[in-house]
Amino acid sequence: MLGERPSTPAIMERSDSGPVRSFIQKIGEPRVLGWIAVAAVLIMWEIVVAAAHLNPIYLPRPTHILAALVTMFSSGGLLTDLLATLGRIFGGFAVSLIVGTLLGIWMATSERVNAIADNFIAALYPLPKVTLIPLLIIWLGTGGPFMLAISALGAIFPIVINTVLGIRQCDPGLILAARDLGASNRQIIKMVLLPSAVPSIFAGVRLGLGVSIILVVAAEMVVGKVGLGARLYLAGQILETEQVFAVLIVLAILGVVVTKAQDLVDIWLNQWRA
Amino acid sequence: MPAGTAIECNGVSLTYSAKSGTPVEALRRVSFRVTPRRVTAVIGPSGCGKSTLLLIIRGLLAPNAGQVLFIDETTGNRASTKPRMATVWQGFNLFPWRTVGENVGFGLELGGMSRSERAERTRRSLALVDLAGFESKYPRQLSGGMRQRVGLARALVMEPEVLLLDEPFGALDAQTRLILQEQLARLVETSGTTAILVTHSIEEAILLADTVVVMTARPGRIAAEIRIDLPRPRSLATTHVAGYSLLFDQIYGLLRDEVVKAMTTEMESA
Repeated sequence: MLGERPSTPAIMERSDSGPVRSFIQKIGEPRVLGWIAVAAVLIMWEIVVAAAHLNPIYLPRPTHILAALVTMFSSGGLLTDLLATLGRIFGGFAVSLIVGTLLGIWMATSERVNAIADNFIAALYPLPKVTLIPLLIIWLGTGGPFMLAISALGAIFPIVINTVLGIRQCDPGLILAARDLGASNRQIIKMVLLPSAVPSIFAGVRLGLGVSIILVVAAEMVVGKVGLGARLYLAGQILETEQVFAVLIVLAILGVVVTKAQDLVDIWLNQWRA
Repeated sequence: MPAGTAIECNGVSLTYSAKSGTPVEALRRVSFRVTPRRVTAVIGPSGCGKSTLLLIIRGLLAPNAGQVLFIDETTGNRASTKPRMATVWQGFNLFPWRTVGENVGFGLELGGMSRSERAERTRRSLALVDLAGFESKYPRQLSGGMRQRVGLARALVMEPEVLLLDEPFGALDAQTRLILQEQLARLVETSGTTAILVTHSIEEAILLADTVVVMTARPGRIAAEIRIDLPRPRSLATTHVAGYSLLFDQIYGLLRDEVVKAMTTEMESA
């Protein structure tokens, strides 16, 4: 037994080694414990709601929420809503990633462009973007262009600002080294400034994508006919609380998946830091 | 052997404005000549503008007055094209997001060389600095001495006619510095490259150079040019050769007053 698991102190290993012992050890692990806590809360919720005969309009049972979720996906068209929302979020986000990075590069490399753009950004950046929804509806209506615009508007400011910041922080020694090796201005932007700004740009992407998700769902709640936000609002209006919870679960999972995907991209981008 | 290109600095002067707006005179009428296929060391107190001078020679910085001329040795006239030059930097200046191989191949990539040819030239250049097989490592995974050898390989892969060395070993510990100095001494002795070495180490200047140019405190001017006639190949043992301490004392004598002057200016401006 000794030395079989060098990571745990030998004194703990010696005391007991039965299957019960190893089971207790397993559920004591932080990761496992976290999931056990989730399961415990769900079971308690189910039992309390069932025992107290609570009105499902206020708090439906988890099993019923799950059933509603399955029905909504299989025959209620929730997949269409999900795809519509994803399309709006990532469509607008893609526009701001391209436009924002290019504008950021331009601002960071030209003092004049920076001076021109700076005041507008200073005025628009702190403005809560939801407040622009009425104006954008007047201009663009409530269809696809409006949704793309609101999503792009959410992401573009953090991306521009972080691109400018990242490029300004580039070590001047690297630019000298590139010039010494014969780089043109264009090559320096592409092969030195941009790669050195990638971690900072990605920090902007994280912030921006979060804002885009909030704005698209909020806009859908206000004017959408399809989309998770529209579905959520509609379910609330007709007191289908199970459906409200079901949509919230989808939104939560969407958030988790996006965060995890960003973590993976972060690790991939930063492999040279290891 | 092809005819070399000599480099002449003629009255090179540079004044720049500091952040506070006050003009700083970095270089004042600096004139000297770099003999082809020889090593010229430029030594001076810190802040005397010796690194700035290297940037001006490389063409990365324009002087306010004076010029840098490239003279074709065979005709004695100005060369029709600038010689190929490459710099090794004190802070290494490696691209941290590129692997060692990608760093060394950077200049070749800029020139549009094919991937396979680039890989071959990179491999040869890394072998030259004893780093064969390190292509896929990232700079952060290497020690300071190894990083600077990558910096050297990145310059050598360009097959420079003139190698510019800006305090290449300044950021390294004493033992690593000794070993790299010996390696560099061997490299310049065998390759016949023209080299300009900026340094603040008298020992390094004598070990590597054929001519030592001593600069004054700011504004940097030329205080003296000293020929180093010690036999090659040189190594650490060279420091025990009879002429060594004479040269050392001579350069130290010139430098000492300038270093004191530089310290006084620093204290006054602080």
